[in-house]
Amino acid sequence: MNGAVARPVTGFLGGFGRVARLVVEHAGAMGQLLWSAGLATVRMKVSFREVVTQMYVMGIQSLPIVLVTASLAGIVTSQQGGYQFQGNLPLYVLGSLVVQTMVLEMGPVLTAVVLVGRVGARITAELGTMVVSEQIDAYHSCGRDPVAILVAPRVIAGTLAMPLLVAIADVVGILVGMFAAKLTTGLGYEAFLYGARLFWHSWDLLYSLTKAFAFGFAIPLISTHMGLRTGGGAAGVGSQTTAAVMFMTLTILVLDAMLPPLMLQ
Amino acid sequence: MIRYEDVYKAFDLPVLSGVTMSVHEGEMFALFGPSGTGKSVLLKSTIGLIRPDRGHVRVAGESVFHGGKGTLERIRRMVGYVFQHSALFDSLNVHDNVLMGLPEDELRGERGARASRRVWDALELVNLEPTQVLAKLPAELSGGMKKRVGIARAIVGHPKILLWDEPTTGLDPVNTAAVERLIVRLSRELETTSLLVTHDVEGGLEMCDRVAMLDGGLVRFCGSPEEFRESPDPVVQAFVDRAAAEAALDLAGDPSGVA
Repeated sequence: MNGAVARPVTGFLGGFGRVARLVVEHAGAMGQLLWSAGLATVRMKVSFREVVTQMYVMGIQSLPIVLVTASLAGIVTSQQGGYQFQGNLPLYVLGSLVVQTMVLEMGPVLTAVVLVGRVGARITAELGTMVVSEQIDAYHSCGRDPVAILVAPRVIAGTLAMPLLVAIADVVGILVGMFAAKLTTGLGYEAFLYGARLFWHSWDLLYSLTKAFAFGFAIPLISTHMGLRTGGGAAGVGSQTTAAVMFMTLTILVLDAMLPPLMLQ
Repeated sequence: MIRYEDVYKAFDLPVLSGVTMSVHEGEMFALFGPSGTGKSVLLKSTIGLIRPDRGHVRVAGESVFHGGKGTLERIRRMVGYVFQHSALFDSLNVHDNVLMGLPEDELRGERGARASRRVWDALELVNLEPTQVLAKLPAELSGGMKKRVGIARAIVGHPKILLWDEPTTGLDPVNTAAVERLIVRLSRELETTSLLVTHDVEGGLEMCDRVAMLDGGLVRFCGSPEEFRESPDPVVQAFVDRAAAEAALDLAGDPSGVA
């Protein structure tokens, strides 16, 4: 009887231990990667041109899908809020709901999720392919630092591009939400803006951009880290990319849960 | 010039189990062995790409793993490495790929102005016409051309040592012969020490001054090509016979009909 009870408990503890070890191992490796990228940046070993190129890839090329996602988020929030408020609350509160939802949550998180799929997966697959085709070894053999060439520009570009993307996503989501509110509930623009101002704090914008900064930093860091740990040929690149997408998505959700107690008290 | 002392490396299973051997200055040295015996692992440990679990690797008297970062940088500057599948950088054209073979400090100032000339010279040395390939991306090159660009990148910095990791893998017999002639010519012209890992046993025996065979993670044989061919060791003999049979099969199955 005791053995029957003990087995699941030890199994659970063993599994927990393995996960904990994996988390610590990844955290340590990412810490080292970040340290190396930071040193390369401070020592001016990072190509400004490469940072600009990466900002173009992450920022400008992601803009269409970010705009579509933000617009749909604005429409959905507006329609569902309108449905819930009708007959219960003054409709102008819808302005506040759309603005707060976009700025505090939907803008940063949806943009980050889009970037995980569009940018993070691509970076992991790209670097993973470079590992299995020995291009990373070739950088070392040529006396070059792959972290300075491949990791640092992506982390810098992601950290700079993400707040800009989120700011655009916030504005577009709110504007489309306002139009959608007018079309579906008949709420006028002035009433919408009145409601928006009622519960607005300037701090919320800072919170939104801080989230964006954190996500923009985490996505390229995790994706490059995972890419550089790839092994096992084409299949390894595939499985590592899948793992990286899960890792990044989970990290975004964890950061999303950690930031409110730190900033919204 | 290169000294391996009791080099041990295990991944899941032991790959190298205490390899000790030397490559002398100016010689061409071939390393044979069945797949998975750690030939490439040994080659990569020479420039610090793979760290052995135990043992020492010395290049020109300096320890690769115990000499610090500066030593490793010095060693990498004196070694040119030719990768099995060329390992050209996908996003860079041929000019920039070869340019990567030059140390960063040689790309600045007055020396930087001469860097493109050196790229040009390196491409000519490997029998490529620079005007035709300089602007091309690796994806636009044939397998043989990629190998030559990889070799040009390895030699552009005028290394003292050349490490060749199965440079003829994936090439047809015509290109294999051409690359092998190139290896011999470059090693002689540039007066380098060459360590060649290859599955082409006949080619390696013809090209090199000395050869070694790894088996079971240890050096099974080390000596001259003649001694290797006439070795009484049954494992070496079986390996030589198998390699000869595979070479004959390759030639028989070659659609170009070169035999």
